Amino acid sequence: MIDHRNSPGLTEEQTHAAGLPPGAGQGLFEAPTSTCSHCQAIVVLNPNRLRDRSYCSKCDRYLCDNCGAVYGLTRECRSIFKQLDEAQEAGEKQSSNLLLLTRSGG
Amino acid sequence: MAKRVYTIDTNTPTAVADTVAIANGTYVGAFKGGSGTQRTLIDEIYLGGQAAASTPTLMQLARDSTVGVGAQSGGDDAALDPATAALAAIVGVGNSFVTSAPQRDAAAKLLHLDFNAFGGIVKWKSLAADRSDSPVLLGNTASFGEMSLSAFTGGTPGAIGAHVIYETL
Repeated sequence: MIDHRNSPGLTEEQTHAAGLPPGAGQGLFEAPTSTCSHCQAIVVLNPNRLRDRSYCSKCDRYLCDNCGAVYGLTRECRSIFKQLDEAQEAGEKQSSNLLLLTRSGG
Repeated sequence: MAKRVYTIDTNTPTAVADTVAIANGTYVGAFKGGSGTQRTLIDEIYLGGQAAASTPTLMQLARDSTVGVGAQSGGDDAALDPATAALAAIVGVGNSFVTSAPQRDAAAKLLHLDFNAFGGIVKWKSLAADRSDSPVLLGNTASFGEMSLSAFTGGTPGAIGAHVIYETL
């Protein structure tokens, strides 16, 4: 929600640069958002958009346009949850290694 | 666990480009995981303009490619429920780091919160029942381990008050 009812708001140029739909920088603008399943970028859904949104059939979620372009080329699902699991496993491995080092050192 | 809220009464952010150190006190806040495996969800962000003249303010929530180092300070942090037990490793919040400053990741922008701080308000809230739309903070290293809410170049940032609601799982 962007409320510029008591504000001069943003110019159309600034609104466009922010990736917002036309008119969103003036008055009250409310729109749903979609969080990209691959990078977690939060996209403000343009109610006037006619093109299909990118969709990953493997994680069954919508993607942002950037990740949609990559997915279109590679067909590889890089779900954020997969990436987070990998990062978490790496973190756990690192902390258990540290524990081992501490134990062997102590 | 339980939801907490980070608030800042007033802050005038400085516009900073990506991958440049964001100086202490010139951004709304940074959120850094309390441990190497801690997982936190961002549930709501509110920014309310306090400027006295027209000031287009291009705020961004983004992951940090370089995390801040040292103790954090600035702003206030509180549990929404007074019965909340303290975490063993608390999430780092604030807009200052003692040792070194965070840098916004150019390739991991999460949310644009552009508005005019002269009377403008912007708010984003997670609405998905399964919370799959909440950005996740994982661990405490770059880039998943820290997020910052700061002003991007362009515009003339004005004074704002803000709150961010988050929950550590």
